[in-house]
Amino acid sequence: MLASIVASGLAMGAVYALIGITYNTMFATSRVMSFTAGMLGMLGGVLGSLFMLRWGLPILVSLPLTLLACALVGVVTEFVAVRPVLKSLDQHLYVLSTLAVALMIQQVTAIEWSTEPRPFPSLLPMGSGMWDEKYWLPVIACAVTVAGLEYLYRRTLVGRAFLAVAEDNFAAKALGLPERNLRVASYAMAGAIGALAGFSGGQLLLAFFANGPLLNFYGFIPVALGGLGNNRGAVIGGLALGLFQQAANFTFGGIFASVAVFVLFIAVLLAAPQGLFGTATARRV
Amino acid sequence: MNVTRREILAGSAALAGTSAAGLPRPAIAANEPIRIGWLTTLTGPGSAPGIGFNRGVEFAAGAINAAGGVKGRMIEVVTRDTQGDPTKCVNATQELISQQKVHAIWGPTNSGESLAVTAIMARAKMPNIHPCVVDTLIDPAKFPNAFRIAPSNGQWDEAARKYCLNVLKAKKVAVFGDTTGYGVTAANACAAGFKQEGAEAVVVANIDATQPDMTPDMLRARNAGAEAIVLWTVSTGMIARLLNTRAAMGWDVPFTGHPALASGDVAGLITKPANWEKVYAVGYRSCSFDATGALPPRSQELVDRLAGKVNLSDSLLWWVACGVDAVNLVARAVEATGETSSAAIIGHWNALDPYPGYFGDYRFTKERHNGYPEDGIVMSAANTAKSGSFALAPGYG
Repeated sequence: MLASIVASGLAMGAVYALIGITYNTMFATSRVMSFTAGMLGMLGGVLGSLFMLRWGLPILVSLPLTLLACALVGVVTEFVAVRPVLKSLDQHLYVLSTLAVALMIQQVTAIEWSTEPRPFPSLLPMGSGMWDEKYWLPVIACAVTVAGLEYLYRRTLVGRAFLAVAEDNFAAKALGLPERNLRVASYAMAGAIGALAGFSGGQLLLAFFANGPLLNFYGFIPVALGGLGNNRGAVIGGLALGLFQQAANFTFGGIFASVAVFVLFIAVLLAAPQGLFGTATARRV
Repeated sequence: MNVTRREILAGSAALAGTSAAGLPRPAIAANEPIRIGWLTTLTGPGSAPGIGFNRGVEFAAGAINAAGGVKGRMIEVVTRDTQGDPTKCVNATQELISQQKVHAIWGPTNSGESLAVTAIMARAKMPNIHPCVVDTLIDPAKFPNAFRIAPSNGQWDEAARKYCLNVLKAKKVAVFGDTTGYGVTAANACAAGFKQEGAEAVVVANIDATQPDMTPDMLRARNAGAEAIVLWTVSTGMIARLLNTRAAMGWDVPFTGHPALASGDVAGLITKPANWEKVYAVGYRSCSFDATGALPPRSQELVDRLAGKVNLSDSLLWWVACGVDAVNLVARAVEATGETSSAAIIGHWNALDPYPGYFGDYRFTKERHNGYPEDGIVMSAANTAKSGSFALAPGYG
């Protein structure tokens, strides 16, 4: 039982963490919580299944194609749902605009793909039982993504430019950084990360249009738990969520497991409103 | 003798009334088509049954019209795609009644929509037949116009329970439903039914259909000593995950329950075909083939008639057969009574005991509007689909 909790919990936790990072990546350069994050995860699974099972493409072609397609969706989101509302961030219009795009993505997927879940193929037929690839692939994907982002942000000029925009986009623009292009790039990157979440977790989640709202919801919890904009916090929050959710499934089962998750979530937010790893922002008075 | 103007008017009115009663009705009424309103879900989620029913409806209407109609009157099916949305269904029902002036309505085809429109049709005294399973949709006192030509949820439940108790000899069962209103209600009713029969539902749980790993629930069932699992959900993803988990656990507990257990979508989601063994879904005797692969004669006759005209490879035979029966029921009512009035059609249906349909022998009386016969509901071997029909589960003669 413990092995099952750990294997399944870490796998789902890694998927949630990757969606949390998708939220953070978009938020960093735009200060917008884009509710397309879960849809990008859903598209990762659907497009992966489409390319590999329906079109018969090999994984080495399918994976880049999936990441590219979702990066494009990320860019379109920036143009359609984010850019027009940036001037009035305080009115939180982005909630409506990004939710609208998310709903459109979901509906188009339901119409063009299927309203029933479709299978996602085995990627690397390795391991069985608790060592089945479906359990460790999302964890590997999450580790690679975090390592890649750390490298990007700390060791490359482009990454530092991202950080500069995230820190203070007015100052970054004043310094001559192409703030708009960096924002578009961050949305493309977020698209690819979301796609990787869905692709690596495809065997667990299946290629199903209804995964979008699920990932939107459970992917947001690590962000809130770990602190907005904090990727390391999102990873820890995501893994903790996955493990707790699976343990609650074993202990309480069904509907009560979800209740347990949200009780914990609310309790943590009451104790630390800025998230476990976030910093409280100063308020001008 | 003085004849007053008042007397002349009264006499004229009496003469006109007598003449009207004695004369044949205008020819236009005799040639007027029989309009059947058809509320169904042809697009969007859950449209597969609607598409299947619709194939039967179009086939039946076409066959009757090709044979000259009903006493010269053609069948006109007025179809409205409600997309599974109760709001759209309410609007379409109002339109069919008040603008299209249909003579009877067939549908809607899911309980959520039917719950929204049953009272509207009752107020309009509109003859209505539907295949929806929620028990409360049929109440001859409240809705004397509504007739069901498919099993109710209670009948499904009873069939699965009897199969567990009498054939599988399982006295301890785990009952799972999804977290929808249907899943919660069906699982609770099912557990109560087992308790009434002296058996025990050792686990009763509602599982989120999108839950990626079903190991916790299956382990709980095994640890509680479940000898069979009864499942009430339409989610093929949830069904496939449960079956894959059963295989991964090396457990051979049988599954029974909702017809969706036999959905073709499950085949694509299970990791190997063997995972679909020992799975028995609610099915229908009329649409099941026996050990020799033969359908009942009446169903075979329908399949022969449908050959080359209606595609059964991606649908279920019972959907098509039920659609054919629905149109035939309206047509036969008009044929027998020579009228299209609500009272005539409803009165005719109230006296059908039985009506030999393709899907089943329906029995309606004034007090019984649940027309589907109990002995027509059987369990099917879920992995045996062939042209929309299934093999009878083990245990049926």
